[in-house]
Amino acid sequence: MSTTLFDNRKSVIHRLNPVTKLIALLAIIVIVFAIPLWWVAGIIIVVIVVPAAVISGSGGRLLKLSLRILLPILLVLFIVQGLTFPGGTTVIWQWGIIDITSEGLLFALGVGSRIVVLVLASMLLVLTTHPGDLMSALSERGMSPKFAYIISSTLQLIPAFRVRADSILLAQQARGLSLKGSPFRRIKIMLPLLSPLVLGMFTDVEERSTAMEARAFGSTAKRTALIPVPDSTVQNVSRWVLIVLALAAVATPIVLGLL
Amino acid sequence: MSSTATTPADSKKTRNRIFIAVGTIIIVATYLYLVVGQPTDIAASSFSQSGLIAIAGYVIGAILLAVGAIHRLPTATVAMVPVAIALNIVVGQLVSVIGIPVYLDSIGTVLVSALAGPAAGVVTGILTNVIWGLTLSPIALPYAVVQVVIGVMAGYAARLGMFRLFYLAPVAGAVTGFVSAIVSAPISAFVFGGATGGGTGAIVGAFQAMGNSLLASTTLQGLLSDPLDKAIVFTIVVLILAALPSRFRQRFPFMRQYNVFGRKAPVLKDATAAAPTVES
Repeated sequence: MSTTLFDNRKSVIHRLNPVTKLIALLAIIVIVFAIPLWWVAGIIIVVIVVPAAVISGSGGRLLKLSLRILLPILLVLFIVQGLTFPGGTTVIWQWGIIDITSEGLLFALGVGSRIVVLVLASMLLVLTTHPGDLMSALSERGMSPKFAYIISSTLQLIPAFRVRADSILLAQQARGLSLKGSPFRRIKIMLPLLSPLVLGMFTDVEERSTAMEARAFGSTAKRTALIPVPDSTVQNVSRWVLIVLALAAVATPIVLGLL
Repeated sequence: MSSTATTPADSKKTRNRIFIAVGTIIIVATYLYLVVGQPTDIAASSFSQSGLIAIAGYVIGAILLAVGAIHRLPTATVAMVPVAIALNIVVGQLVSVIGIPVYLDSIGTVLVSALAGPAAGVVTGILTNVIWGLTLSPIALPYAVVQVVIGVMAGYAARLGMFRLFYLAPVAGAVTGFVSAIVSAPISAFVFGGATGGGTGAIVGAFQAMGNSLLASTTLQGLLSDPLDKAIVFTIVVLILAALPSRFRQRFPFMRQYNVFGRKAPVLKDATAAAPTVES
């Protein structure tokens, strides 16, 4: 299992500056959460997210990954809010003591449409942007290199962690540890797994920090980028347009008196 | 080795303090606004701005805290944070697969807080959810502030000596869980409508059916699971601290200064004082 979901392709969306994509994602999230109408979220999915996914060529993976996250949430959301929404008065379907209210379903639609946009848009960013590119683009813009180090390093550590956990699990099974049983028994299984895993990983830290300090990691001098991330004037302008759009979306409901 | 990290940072110290203060104020203000402004909002059934305020306030607050905190960390701590984040994510995933009704996704955060203080805990906490959002599920991103709260609370619990006695740690954990349940409730309510998972969604529904508001229901649901979860996490951290080599523990100035783990080891203390790792 790979650590990142990055889908390595050569589309226009992949080649955009990561900061542009990040700002686009933030603007989309602000717009759908600022305007309290579910069809705004619908329009954004149809007009922006779906075409972008098709152009990037990662649409299939996006659909598969997002459905796995969204289906359980949406199912629970509609059932729970349809049945128990506190402001629900108009009963549209009744069976015994169970009644579904239209207010509850509308609430679920409002919240659900926004969750769909949030998940689809951020998944698309993750699929089309290599975390390393995002980190170097943000570091160029003044983010502390410590953030970049921590995030990139973690992404490399998680597979190492899994490999180590698997080998410890196999070793414990080899000496007769059974993985089946009641929840309480399964908690007990965690202990012989966790302690060698954690102690091993943390004792590695010491050597790493010495090596990093020897290469001036703690220095606060300004660094230059080894691989500059490509950017263009068009993207720079569109970033500002997106920011203005997001601010306009925040102001719209207040101006129109929707609240 | 740390002289490079501390001397030029003096000019930035005030700036970092401002970041931390503003971040804290924004998080507290967001929570108060959502709790106080909630009844009218639901009545008008335009809960929308609440969702935006919940996400924006908490995310901006958490980012400011992290930006203010990261400059304080020496290299030894920065090198440890990725391991702690990987621990959070791997154990959190493992537990969700095994099917135990707790999360256990903050062991690394609490461990780093105990070893290196609240600032390190804040950075570990927020980046855990950022990376979780980047790799497994974007649902984790809005909850970053909860891990930040856990990091801060665990750091101060360590300062107060809650990790010195093994039976005090679960108490500190339960208190942390109480606070994190209260902080996370507005996100569950206003961003996700109470539906963050099958089991939790059903519990929220049950509380709503009893006549509670959405926010009250998510708060009650959090109070059912979070204190227990954090009590277990804090206990695991005490066990890990006891198992870590004393030489490793004593490397951290925070650990030495506040005598987090209790056992005094004068010989070791002298040995580390002579080593070049000493903080100014």
